[in-house]
Amino acid sequence: MGTISTAFSLISGALNADQAALSITANNVANANTPGYTQEIPKWQENDPLTINGVSYGNGVTETGAKSLRDSVLAERLDQQQQLASASSARLTALDGVQALFTPDSGSTSSKAGDIGGDITSFFSSFSQLEAQPTDNALRQGVLSSATTLAGDVSNAAASLNTQRSGLDQEAAGVTSQVNSLTSAISQLNVQIQSTSPNADAGTLEDQRDQDVSQLSQLIGINQITTENNGLSITTASGQLLVSEGSNYQLTTGAAGGVTDFFLGGSDITSQLAGGGGQLGGYLTARDEDIPNALASLDQLAYNISTNVNALNNSGTDLDGTTGSAANPLYIFNQPTTAAGSAANMSVIMTDPNQIAAAAAGQGTGDNSNAIAMANLQNESLVPPVATTSFSMIQNLSATTALGGTATGSITVYDSLGKSYDATVTYTNQGANTWNYSIAMPDTVTPDTSVANQMSYTFGAGETVDPGTNLTITGNAGGGLATITAPPVVAGEAVGAAGPPPTGYVAALDAAMTAKGITGVTVTSSGGVLTIAGATATAGSVIADPVASANATGILQFNAAGTLISPAANVSGLTFAGLSDGAATLNLQWGLYSASGTAGGSNDETPIDFYSNFVSTLGATVSGVQAENTAQNASVTQLQTQNNALSSVNLNDEASALSTLQTSYQAASQVFSMLNTIMAAALNLGDQTTVA
Amino acid sequence: MRVDPSYVSNLVGSLDQAQGNEQQLTAELSSGVSISSLSQNPVASGENVLLLNQIQQDDSFTQSSNLVTGQLQVADSSLGSVVTELTSAISLATSANNGTMNSSDVKSISNQISGILDEVQSLANTSYQGQFIFAGGQTSTTPFTTSSGTSPAVTTYSGDDDINYLATPNGQKIQLNVPGSQIFLGTGSNSVFGALNSLVADYSSGTVNTAQAVSDTQALGTAMNYVSQQRVTIDNSITQISTASEAVTSDETQLTSAQNNLMQADVAQVSTQLSLAETQQTALEDVIAQLNSSSNSLFSKLPA
Repeated sequence: MGTISTAFSLISGALNADQAALSITANNVANANTPGYTQEIPKWQENDPLTINGVSYGNGVTETGAKSLRDSVLAERLDQQQQLASASSARLTALDGVQALFTPDSGSTSSKAGDIGGDITSFFSSFSQLEAQPTDNALRQGVLSSATTLAGDVSNAAASLNTQRSGLDQEAAGVTSQVNSLTSAISQLNVQIQSTSPNADAGTLEDQRDQDVSQLSQLIGINQITTENNGLSITTASGQLLVSEGSNYQLTTGAAGGVTDFFLGGSDITSQLAGGGGQLGGYLTARDEDIPNALASLDQLAYNISTNVNALNNSGTDLDGTTGSAANPLYIFNQPTTAAGSAANMSVIMTDPNQIAAAAAGQGTGDNSNAIAMANLQNESLVPPVATTSFSMIQNLSATTALGGTATGSITVYDSLGKSYDATVTYTNQGANTWNYSIAMPDTVTPDTSVANQMSYTFGAGETVDPGTNLTITGNAGGGLATITAPPVVAGEAVGAAGPPPTGYVAALDAAMTAKGITGVTVTSSGGVLTIAGATATAGSVIADPVASANATGILQFNAAGTLISPAANVSGLTFAGLSDGAATLNLQWGLYSASGTAGGSNDETPIDFYSNFVSTLGATVSGVQAENTAQNASVTQLQTQNNALSSVNLNDEASALSTLQTSYQAASQVFSMLNTIMAAALNLGDQTTVA
Repeated sequence: MRVDPSYVSNLVGSLDQAQGNEQQLTAELSSGVSISSLSQNPVASGENVLLLNQIQQDDSFTQSSNLVTGQLQVADSSLGSVVTELTSAISLATSANNGTMNSSDVKSISNQISGILDEVQSLANTSYQGQFIFAGGQTSTTPFTTSSGTSPAVTTYSGDDDINYLATPNGQKIQLNVPGSQIFLGTGSNSVFGALNSLVADYSSGTVNTAQAVSDTQALGTAMNYVSQQRVTIDNSITQISTASEAVTSDETQLTSAQNNLMQADVAQVSTQLSLAETQQTALEDVIAQLNSSSNSLFSKLPA
């Protein structure tokens, strides 16, 4: 009997176990489409065997509960990748909005609308057209109209960027409440899990917690730390605590500088969140980095176009014969004071087209030279390069240099219009540890040969011809050609002294040509422009000396140890004025007491180059984020696939398990039935009818 | 390892991608433009800005050159007329000085030369679209006026020596005007008005100072030649503008072609890609339909 009872026990255990396993399968099937549900499998445990007389007899199997098929390392990896993908996805959406403001102009009429590149060109071209007929009202109106289009498109783009920025700000702020509700839910789940299942998988509770963590990962960059008793702590990617087992810390927001800042426990963690990942990271990167960068570029473009065009227009003569003044400036654009905000505020303030100063100052209203200058702004550097150069001693001075001996050093420097010069410092040994120095900055004036048979050299105000000039003039003399080289120059001789008769350098050239018998060549000067007309050939540039400030020459006094004692400080306020390209002043700072110096570099980006680079850079940024997002999404998909492969419910598997378990159940129940028959036979002692 | 049971969602992802691709290609086909956003080709987008800038500069120069050509032609034709007038003045002056004319004939010739002077002055005061073309930069002021208070009368110039230029897209400058003082009031014997005023005075009394008249007639001839020389500057400018316009137009054609290559969609290529994308979409849809069919589930094979 004992053996039949054991068999009953065994088989009823099997039936129970199969029943429990069937329930798990049924639960899996029911939750196949429940988000976050992790597939469960029955845990089978072999019962302790019975040992009778040294022989071990199996004691059946028990189903001890369900086990969730979960890989926490994989899930965490998936969450981390999800944070990156969400961040790049949010940033990409924002950047798509930004780049939509700068859709490439395909060249068709419809695509030109709002194209700032086209506007810039149209604006400067309107001055080119004004060159043709500087007094024409329609052409003047054209300048104002193209200026209005440019200013309108730039300010609209800036306004749209600002709108997008505040939109992102709101979206980012909106994420806060979702983060807080998720962290609160996670902390509550932590408490439940720790109390119900401190040492084992908590099944659906853990599913819920994983699901919440996954959602949180889409919103914000986090780190997960598993704690004792199956608890979980969560920090932001930069380490600030959001959830500590049963406690959670709320993210709060506050306005700062026109945008929303994010606080945790009183600390401003906005910048950490921006780099942390998740939607919030993406929004903040776009809000605080991408859009401000685009705005800064537009601001710089607007600022420089506005100020340069205004300055030139103000310096010319308008159609009414007026030249701008500080009291009544002839400004086309709203004059910005700082680059920041220039794009948003760009507008045309000039209403009277007559105020466009096509003529140069002092010229008749039919003159077009200022219109040419304004049209030419499109070929000039948008951003003035650094016009101040710091330089060191340049040259080591040796005590063994003979008395009166010299040492020279030179450095390339730039003025505010980007023209380069080779500044030279010449040191002359005066003995007794004393050296004279002289800083020279020859201004090379190259001839303008755009008019046939004519060369003209434009000198800056107060510039004198340097004796080192190498100008030669070839002209007809008698039956052939004759050439003169630059005549001796009297120190300080003016280029364009008033005449006639010719004076200064003009007279010197005239005299030299007469001496050579050259006829038919006229040399004139007017306002610093030396013009040589009728020459068959000329060669060489003229060297001019700009007006140097004090301290361009002086004395350096060293002590016996070779240490400089006078001047006692670095020399600043060194300037060269009256440069031939019209730059106001070139500044030098002589770092006598500093180890090294730097030469200011030139920046030759024209407005259209600047815009072209801006769109390329923006496009490259968007394209980079796109590629990043695609790669991250692919990686998320891959990790998701891996995770699904482990944790997701496969209905075919379940059908198969169902079938297996059913069969097993049927088998067990048949065995049970047989046992029942055997049991009845045993009880009836062979009589078939007593117990059925 | 088990396969991911949610393969359908992956396939749906691929389907989305294929549809996105199709949308992009369809947009390219319908707009004819291959780059509709900066990120599609950042380098080409930047290059496009520069190309369009050059095209527009060329276009703008073509328009400007049309405007200035009219003015230069008017200047040229005026100077042509001046030369014609001066030729007849020289012929009249010569005939008055041949000793066969009586006093009244000489006076009549003086009047005729005076008429020519008026005509020349009127030509020197030629305006184009309301602007005096021989006034330097003072285009709104009548450049030449003659005061008959003295004998000979004096023609004065109210313009200036300003010369306007038109800059071509490559920076070359083309002279647009010759100041009136340079044409009509040249120094020495190059002054048209000086010679004409002197001749009018020479013959106004009816008595001829032959030596003076011959000298003044010669001076007028010299002045006329000088006008012709100045006219050459205008003619040169017309030629230069025409040449520059041709060069610019040819440049513009090349730039436009380059810009088209950069931005325009290659219809044949895009169509092929679209067709491929459509095939891919259909295939994906079939696969999804097949996989998603309930008959594929093992549950359907289980006995009821």
